[in-house]
Amino acid sequence: MTIPIENIRNFSIIAHIDHGKSTLADRLLQSTLAVSEREAREQLLDSMDLERERGITIKASAVTVEHQFEGKMFMLNFIDTPGHVDFTYEVSRALTACEGAVLVVDSTQGVEAQTVANAYLAIEQDLEIIPVVNKLDLPSAQPEEVALEIEQVLGINTDDCIFCSAKTGEGITELLDGICRLLPPPREQVTDKTRALIFDSIYDDYRGVVVFVRVFDGRLTVGDKIRMMGIGRTFTITELGKHRPKREKVKSLGAGETGYVVAAIKTLKDVRVGDTITIDHSPAEEALPGYEEPRQMVFCDFYPSSGGGEGGKGAEFDTLRDAVERLSLNDASFTFAPVHSDALGFGFRCGFLGLLHMEIVQERLEREGGVEIIQTAPTVSYQVKRTNGDIIDVTNPADLPDAGEIDELREPIVKVEIVVPMEYIGDIMGLCGDRRGIYKSQMFVSETRQILTYEMPLAEIIYDFYDKLKSITRGYGTMDYEMIGFHADRLVRLDILVNGVSVEALCLIAHRDTAEKRGRAILTKLRKAIPRHQFEVPLQIAIGGKIIARETIKAMRKNVTAKCYGGDVSRKRKLLEKQKKGKKRMKNIGSVEVPQEAFLAVLEQGE
Amino acid sequence: MDERIALTVSGQEQTAAGVLDVGGELARSLYVHVPFCFHKCHYCDFYSVVDSGDRQGEFTDRLIEELRFVSRFAAPLETVFVGGGTPTLLGVAHWRRLLVALGECFDCSLILSGDGEFTVECNPETASAELMDALVAGGVNRVSVGAQSFDERHLKTLERWHDPASVGRALGICAAAGIGRRSLDLIYAIPGQTLGEWEEDLEIALSVDSGLEHMSCYALTYEAGTAMTARFERGEFESAPEELEAAMYRRTVERLGEAGLARYEVSNFARGDAGRSRHNLAYWRNASWLAAGPAAAGHVRAGASGGWRWKNVPNVRVWMAGVAASGGASPVIDVEGPDRARALCERIMMGIRIDEGLEFEGFLEEAGRLGVGAAMAAAVEEQVGLGLVVVEGGRVRLTDEGFLFADGVAGALMGAVG
Ligand SMILES: Nc1nc2c(ncn2[C@@H]2O[C@H](COP(=O)(O)OP(=O)(O)O)[C@@H](O)[C@H]2O)c(=O)[nH]1
Ligand code: SF4
Repeated sequence: MTIPIENIRNFSIIAHIDHGKSTLADRLLQSTLAVSEREAREQLLDSMDLERERGITIKASAVTVEHQFEGKMFMLNFIDTPGHVDFTYEVSRALTACEGAVLVVDSTQGVEAQTVANAYLAIEQDLEIIPVVNKLDLPSAQPEEVALEIEQVLGINTDDCIFCSAKTGEGITELLDGICRLLPPPREQVTDKTRALIFDSIYDDYRGVVVFVRVFDGRLTVGDKIRMMGIGRTFTITELGKHRPKREKVKSLGAGETGYVVAAIKTLKDVRVGDTITIDHSPAEEALPGYEEPRQMVFCDFYPSSGGGEGGKGAEFDTLRDAVERLSLNDASFTFAPVHSDALGFGFRCGFLGLLHMEIVQERLEREGGVEIIQTAPTVSYQVKRTNGDIIDVTNPADLPDAGEIDELREPIVKVEIVVPMEYIGDIMGLCGDRRGIYKSQMFVSETRQILTYEMPLAEIIYDFYDKLKSITRGYGTMDYEMIGFHADRLVRLDILVNGVSVEALCLIAHRDTAEKRGRAILTKLRKAIPRHQFEVPLQIAIGGKIIARETIKAMRKNVTAKCYGGDVSRKRKLLEKQKKGKKRMKNIGSVEVPQEAFLAVLEQGE
Repeated sequence: MDERIALTVSGQEQTAAGVLDVGGELARSLYVHVPFCFHKCHYCDFYSVVDSGDRQGEFTDRLIEELRFVSRFAAPLETVFVGGGTPTLLGVAHWRRLLVALGECFDCSLILSGDGEFTVECNPETASAELMDALVAGGVNRVSVGAQSFDERHLKTLERWHDPASVGRALGICAAAGIGRRSLDLIYAIPGQTLGEWEEDLEIALSVDSGLEHMSCYALTYEAGTAMTARFERGEFESAPEELEAAMYRRTVERLGEAGLARYEVSNFARGDAGRSRHNLAYWRNASWLAAGPAAAGHVRAGASGGWRWKNVPNVRVWMAGVAASGGASPVIDVEGPDRARALCERIMMGIRIDEGLEFEGFLEEAGRLGVGAAMAAAVEEQVGLGLVVVEGGRVRLTDEGFLFADGVAGALMGAVG
């Protein structure tokens, strides 16, 4: 049965984290009888374990279901979006493939920072928005107040607001009907040449790259020779299909439809999300409006935790390389390049969309790749304008040119939106001020909460900004950020010396005014993280070769078990073996053994 | 509840018989564990139960059965050590039976002729002339008296219940009974203890018995699972600072040395070679010894590839039931079979603690056989560089400074084994 284009709806669900997006998606699929209850429970759209564990959806994918409304059968193409700050780009990719969005807000929490950020993305794309107030079943639900917040803060008309409980199923049919009734059908075709937008791609061990597309004009058919208009490569379609949510092959995908394409594409690098697919022998003249590739804004090094430092690359490095390469097949938004550090040996400098992305990658490498990793403190990507006028990117503070060669040192700036209860406004403003934030605006979300907007260096929020926000606001504050550009400032490189040796992996860039305080906090952390040695270990901070602070790890005075007799042999041996294992996770800097935590000491800012 | 453990243990059928029947060398040493105490001292992690007096008879019966069983694996005994718990808490009649049985099962000729060593740990308050006479009649020629401290305040911190004055009295009784070889145990680095107070303890120890030929001085150790450790973790007191502990140790070595008691192991001091504990040296030299009594550990060497280690089940009831059921073989736990690398590690870890150290060629050769000769030589060199060990007269031994870092040295050398 073919469904006419006017009965097709392409939409995404967008929400602040934990407001019930996944639960609602499961409910929708279940109500259209596409999924059994058990399957629903497993939250089909989130496919990776790690995502499920963290409750975060990372990869967008599309599901097609059918729903009967006013006697007609509708095809609903539901495009999943990730739900966290680091993946803003991925959200906007997914939204480009839609005509409408379902904006879910938890009726016990109200509008939060990501609600705002995601709603703005949808508004920018001119999408029709259906506001949904969720968790109606909870006693603390305040549906009317929350609907008012949506109207006041986001300027979204709530006449058609749907009140539901993804848990009990209340309001779900109304929502399905609303999607059919309120969201517009796909736009008219503007050309008879085929144009399909790539909004996501994933790697599958059996089929290679699977590309998710939204067809805007024309038709894709199995056997077609297709061309990627942006990168100019051609492939032959071997399979087309949809997820309902089980994979189901189809012969063709027509205008307005969403589905997947398999075309013997070997690596994710051969596909650019945002690119337009056309037919090779009869190409469209112009590509669909695309969007930028996400930029890696946060960088750090990964080293294998043992081996390396003494020269050879070793088996551990090979394991790490395999793991990194394998993961990059699945995650095109993470970049890597080999590095070598005197202290840590051979490893990789990796780029991420944000801090959370970094954490996820590290965990996946350790879990799926079976390597133990030492991770250096993250840094942002800086821009250096040299005195000769050249502009270079610096993603590793150790690569910063000499001060004399630097005309301007620029850092990435983000716009941060923070939603907080009134009583914490003062403290949060203080926090933002400490982090070199520039106040932009302040607005009421409700009588008790405000939304603060700041412009702030990204470097200031990749430390522990989010944790601080959560602790100051007892968990009630939420935030979202967005890159807005680069800005020059008085930035300096801070070197850390352990036992007189400068440790590249600990080096960082900081603002001149706060560098000393930062440095001292790091020294205090290092002093606690590095165990006592048989000799005194000095720790120093230097700016431009000048020592500005010093701490000392006192020498160990004794390390001996007092009693050791016949009955103690096995136990004592095991104890010494355990200590030996602990040492394996340490790195030697000269004659000093430095545990992994020390490398992370610079990650958190002291009080 | 104990019954249930007994069933489990007999169900798994691992007994000392399985370990001893494998044809290891015949042991020349025997350790016997008597698990009764008045009360549990707070720092103590030895296996002991508070004595209710009613189990001593049955305990002794079972112990005799076990001794009969293990004696099959013994050479003529050179050393016997009865520890605890509190061995002197065992009634004189039980002791007499025990000593007779010991003489019947084992070849104790070396001990009786004075060429061997037979030590009993002695609690200062339970040393009676009657008991000491019985011990001497059974061949005991050495006592180790647990004084721990002469300061009531510090004894209280340790929850150790005895009158400090009883220590001298006990040593006197032992001397009078003809026990010529006497040792004293002390503990230092007790929370709140000053260097001066510790020096005082040392002075009293040195004057309490002019015939004292041996002392053991232990830094207080916070063993897992003890009341002391729990109190420490609750923050009831602070542990002695590392610097103070090291200073106390240095002072101990110095003061006892002046008094003619030379350090021959990390925490042990003796008057001449003759004053050393031969039994404990057997442990540090990684020799074979048999074990009897609950929680007693044993080691039997089996050729070049190391030896067997095991521990009798640390539960009086389960041990008694097991010994009765098997005709003398205790249920055992923590069994480790021969493993060359492990044996070398143990040789290093134990051997490095004594003043004679390790025979260099021999252990380097063994490392070479394991394919880590070069790494071992490098590790030794590194420790020499740090000033913690010296290689002299074909032996690797700790320097004065090295004695304070014996674990670090052992760890570094063991690290070379892989
Ligand atoms: N009581 C109640 N809980 C809900 C409802 N919808 C979602 N939840 C719960 O809210 C939490 C977050 O939901 P989830 O769907 O994972 O949120 P997401 O992060 O937006 O995908 C989960 O514990 C859900 O079980 C609802 O309607 N009522
Ligand atoms: S220290 Fe000695 S007397 Fe005190 S409980 Fe332990 S074994 Fe018994």
